[in-house]
Amino acid sequence: MTQLAQSKAAEPIVRAPPLFELRGISKEFPGVKALDDVSFSVWPGEVHMLLGENGAGKSSLMKVLCGAYRADSGSFHYNGETVEITSPADARKLGIAVIFQEFSLVPYLDIAQNIFLGREPAGRVPGTIDRKKILADARRVLDSIGFDIDPAIQIEKLGVAQQQMVEIAKAISQNARILVMDEPTAALSDRETELLFALIARLKADGVAIIYISHRMAEVFSLGDRITVLRDGRRIDEVKPGAVSSDDLVRMMVGRSVDMSYPRTFAEAPGKVMLEVKGLASASGITGIDLVVRQGEIVGLCGLVGSGRTEVVRAIFGADKATAGQILFNGQEKSGGPDEAARLGLALIPESRKAEGLALIRSVGDNLIVSALRKIFPRGLFDHGKSRQVANDLVRQLRIATPSDKQAVGLLSGGNQQKVVIGKWLAAGAKLFIFDEPTRGIDVGAKAEIFALIDRLVADGAAALMISSEQSEICHVCDRAYVMRDGQIAGELARHELSEENIVKLGMQHA
Amino acid sequence: MREQAMQLNTNPLQRIPGVAVMLVLLCVVFSLMTPGFLTMPNISNVLVQSTILLMLALPMTLIIMTEGLDLSMGAVLTLTSLIVAIVALATGSMVMGLLAALAVGTVFGVANGWLVAVVGIPPFVATLGTLGMAQGLSLIVSDGQSVVGMPAAVRGVYSGTLAGVPLPIILALGSYLAFHGLLYHTRFGTYIFALGGNREALKFAGISARGLLILVYALGGAMVGLAGLLMTARMNSGHPTAGLGLEFDAIAAVAVGGTSFERGNGWLLGTLLGVVTVGVLRNGLNLLALPSSIQVASVGLLVIAALFVDGLRSRS
Repeated sequence: MTQLAQSKAAEPIVRAPPLFELRGISKEFPGVKALDDVSFSVWPGEVHMLLGENGAGKSSLMKVLCGAYRADSGSFHYNGETVEITSPADARKLGIAVIFQEFSLVPYLDIAQNIFLGREPAGRVPGTIDRKKILADARRVLDSIGFDIDPAIQIEKLGVAQQQMVEIAKAISQNARILVMDEPTAALSDRETELLFALIARLKADGVAIIYISHRMAEVFSLGDRITVLRDGRRIDEVKPGAVSSDDLVRMMVGRSVDMSYPRTFAEAPGKVMLEVKGLASASGITGIDLVVRQGEIVGLCGLVGSGRTEVVRAIFGADKATAGQILFNGQEKSGGPDEAARLGLALIPESRKAEGLALIRSVGDNLIVSALRKIFPRGLFDHGKSRQVANDLVRQLRIATPSDKQAVGLLSGGNQQKVVIGKWLAAGAKLFIFDEPTRGIDVGAKAEIFALIDRLVADGAAALMISSEQSEICHVCDRAYVMRDGQIAGELARHELSEENIVKLGMQHA
Repeated sequence: MREQAMQLNTNPLQRIPGVAVMLVLLCVVFSLMTPGFLTMPNISNVLVQSTILLMLALPMTLIIMTEGLDLSMGAVLTLTSLIVAIVALATGSMVMGLLAALAVGTVFGVANGWLVAVVGIPPFVATLGTLGMAQGLSLIVSDGQSVVGMPAAVRGVYSGTLAGVPLPIILALGSYLAFHGLLYHTRFGTYIFALGGNREALKFAGISARGLLILVYALGGAMVGLAGLLMTARMNSGHPTAGLGLEFDAIAAVAVGGTSFERGNGWLLGTLLGVVTVGVLRNGLNLLALPSSIQVASVGLLVIAALFVDGLRSRS
């Protein structure tokens, strides 16, 4: 394995050739070199991690692999033989299956119909489907990956993790030997992630080659047999997990040394209490929530997915109705819904920026000022000059990387979209920023920038309450943190007590 | 989780209330208010009168499931009804009239599908365009006059019976069963769910969405041709405003029946119930001797009420 892992793709292979190999793949779009001479190989029963920031070329490489893009130059080799991939059908014939983050499942068909979409067993009457056979075939495929579920259940009724299992079953049913997975754990809980890893181990044992794209350092090390790092469309290096540290990998990804400790200027003395929550409960299952956020603080809210973190911030913001307790904002009791919260100066920045925070086809400028229209134009008359001035000030202040305030927000990177959401609330006069997973889907370099921005905000007299599943982020950035378990606050950790170990302990332990 | 999912899956009755509650409610109200409502002849009358609407609403369900729409159905129905009348009058043959109507309807359907799938015009606009063309053509072929003097065979399609069952009912039932089989038991039906639910999935399965879309709209056109025969038979003439606004009732019936305009979430039995509900509503208001303007407004109200109930249920 050592030999294999270190053999460069372009060199002659001493042992059996890799199951699949790309040599010198380049792909250019007008103005952008998406892939520049990338070589990459994968052996049966191997998990090959593909690591890179957003825009490093991972998605382009995936699209080339599945036949959605045609490479400008370079060659593909399957079991040592030169092959062509010019269409999705070519890729399928070679046994390459891609599990995208956006599943290619049909919500109102059942599991069996989805697994065999386009390959339905024919019934007796021409054009019909043999229902018995499709169910039996589906059951066999599901069994082979150890997924115990009735194949007649509609996709719509399944959770994300189960849908992902169906996607994998679909790939397996097409005799996929090379499985490409794009951040498969992004939407999974810890428990579901474990199940997925168990399935990956099973597939490996069956000799399936897995190309796994990830942002998460922990899984890169625990799962990967080899790691290839991409940056700016180029292959930076191929390494073995045992031979590098996560700092090494980050350095390769960003091309510079990123200080993982996210510089933070902690206030010397705690500020005045901004938000005080006493005995808060809501119908979503949270009870007895007490918490305090002071001016100048970043307060973490952690715990396992499903422990009630999002429900707490929704109740504070008024998106869910509180059934008990009290919320005091700057000493004033808050009882109304989201509109009152926004008026008081609370900002909720949800996890799904695209769905809840931004109008993607509208410009950066429009998105920045939309919540502040009443404030900027108190007389109700719109003034283009003034709106652009306000927008451009924000673009500068928040260092949003955009060609102009007229650029559509959807075209910006995840990190810059996040900044636009923050800017939108800032323009509206928000004082307390509540973040739900502020760095999800954002690459390493942009994460540091987002945290620097939050740091500046709180230093200027704001405060932040932040939900994050990345415990290292909480530890590096927060003044204090509350840890949730089963809808309640399990404990509070002061700055000096903040460690991943303590967070995990509090979040899991049974009182 | 698993048991819950299975329970939901095996119990389509969960989805009935919106439309079924409405239907039962209307029947109760009308039978209390008018003595003539709950009689065998009236019930038969409601059902027979609903058959034309069902023939539009069935393909409309499939079209809406593809996240499409066909606004041209009413106008094309007028045209095909006139074609039946003119051809039957000229040839003396009901069958020739039907074939001509099927051909004209299918041409319009293919045109709709082509505009939507190949040219890429949004369905609302594309079918609004063909609506105008069909309306204009109707005026041209009829010269704005009714076409009268149908052969007996034409009239017989509407008034005839087979084993005591009115022919339109048999045609409608046959159409329903055919669509049911098509949607739930064939590849084509499976792909209709995918057209609205996840077109990418179809692409990855190597299936052309374009061809399927054209086929769906063409099927709609053909059904409008068949409905044209029933329309002419019912009026024993062709009339240049015969199908006016029926696309509204068809879309209403589909919506009332619980088919969603997004993500390929359709329900054919719901459409059947929706059609009967619209029919009962119009019939009841008729018996109460309310003007037709009230009827149109009521159908609108019905749609809103049904969707309101569904919205309340999905929120809880």
